[in-house]
Amino acid sequence: MKLVPRGLALAGWAGRYVWSGWAGVAGLFCLAAAWQAGHEFYGSFVLPSPLETLQAISVIVREPSFAKVARETAERSLAGFVLAVGIGTTAGAIAGYSFAAMRLMRPIVTVILGVPPIAWIVLALIWFGSTGASAVMTVVVAALPISFAGGLEGVATRDRALDAMARSFGAGIWMRFRTVTAPHLISYLFPAWTTTAGTAWKVTVMAELLSNSGGIGGELATARALFDIPRVMALIVAVVAFALITEYVFLHPLRDRLERWREAGLPWGVKR
Amino acid sequence: MGCEAMKLALESVGHAFLGRPVFEKLDLSLVEGEVVALIGPSGCGKTTVLQIAAGLIDPLRGRVRRAYRRHAVVFQEPRLLPWMTARDNIAYGLCAIGASATARVEVAERRAREVGLHPEDLDKFPVELSGGMRQRVAVARALAVDPDVVFFDEPFTAVDVGLKRALQDLVIEAAAREHFSALFVTHDLAEAVRVAHRLVVLSGSVEGLAASRVIEGKPGERNDRIVFEMVETWSRDPAFHALFDGERERIR
Repeated sequence: MKLVPRGLALAGWAGRYVWSGWAGVAGLFCLAAAWQAGHEFYGSFVLPSPLETLQAISVIVREPSFAKVARETAERSLAGFVLAVGIGTTAGAIAGYSFAAMRLMRPIVTVILGVPPIAWIVLALIWFGSTGASAVMTVVVAALPISFAGGLEGVATRDRALDAMARSFGAGIWMRFRTVTAPHLISYLFPAWTTTAGTAWKVTVMAELLSNSGGIGGELATARALFDIPRVMALIVAVVAFALITEYVFLHPLRDRLERWREAGLPWGVKR
Repeated sequence: MGCEAMKLALESVGHAFLGRPVFEKLDLSLVEGEVVALIGPSGCGKTTVLQIAAGLIDPLRGRVRRAYRRHAVVFQEPRLLPWMTARDNIAYGLCAIGASATARVEVAERRAREVGLHPEDLDKFPVELSGGMRQRVAVARALAVDPDVVFFDEPFTAVDVGLKRALQDLVIEAAAREHFSALFVTHDLAEAVRVAHRLVVLSGSVEGLAASRVIEGKPGERNDRIVFEMVETWSRDPAFHALFDGERERIR
């Protein structure tokens, strides 16, 4: 079959994707330069230099306990992400199809959105105690409204003319959802999902720190208590790195593969 | 054509939008292999008649009888799925009726050739095709399911004059070759005279059809002179006045 050209196309796409990373790396190095300047102005105690932080990171990753706490945090944020995205998207899609459901659910989501995440942590601590469940719950309630809004907008703005076309060919509900609504929905969901992924890491660490339930947040609390500033910086950098990996290694390539048709419409030069 | 099998019949169909009647007691039928052009002033409900006939909306009154296996619709806009290649768009109707993957590819490629698409265009997405090519894909998609009845809803209003002619010829050829029946909605009398066997005029008011005329000769055999003269004669016919005066009345 056409395996060879397909493989070549995939390799070409992967090469372009990795190559486009240079621009991102350049931006990160600008940030590192500003960080170094801040370090030289304020000194090591307030702001350790990027080099010291790197050294602290290399120490941390060699500790056997770090892999365990990182896995703990990763599992909690993944669980929070999956639940938030699953519940939010499903509820949003239902609300998009049914106006009655939308009128019922919108105020609920507004209320959830109005309660600050820090208040949810307090409630979660009371309900679940110092366990991973309180971190997961905080992630879910903090990130759910974004997926809900994405699912709602995506389904509500589906192209009814295309739907009528599909019906004229006798396509059933499932086929119409798969071929007409879902590809349109994806373009609304991806921004929501990338935001949710970032939120999941941040909120998990925050909840862990406040509820003292281990994970990277727990490590951060200990490092703060010991005034080990390079270690604090190293843990922050580690969390940021995890968030970046989630977005650029998992979510963006997936989006690129699913939305090839959108790229096809761009003029030369705008293409990455 | 009275002895041939009836494919579609609308019997005293009436429809209204939000209580405002569009037409009432409309009777219309299609026999096998017959192309009927439905013309009328804009806003008189031509598209509504087509949607009722194609089963996209249910009529408020009257009934629709269908004696065929499968129909297809060519809309005013191409209505292609932007996330599918031209090939998959052409095969969409086949996908809906559960044809196998190999059959889909084979039929899509054959139909694409018939409507004048290059094989390399088949891997392109709709955004990469010109307006005329998109409408060709839409016609190919309709023909791909081997329909017994095809509904055309002012399909070539958005393309330029030369291309319009080419696309009309395509429809005329396909109708003669595949022997499907068609309801061709248009507001252009010359287009109707070129493509159809019979012409029905939907009046601007609610009473339904204003006139029904059999067009002499066969589609594809009438030259430009005959078409022009027929249009000239009919535009003086009182039955067709709604077509030319309707706009003025509506603006009032």
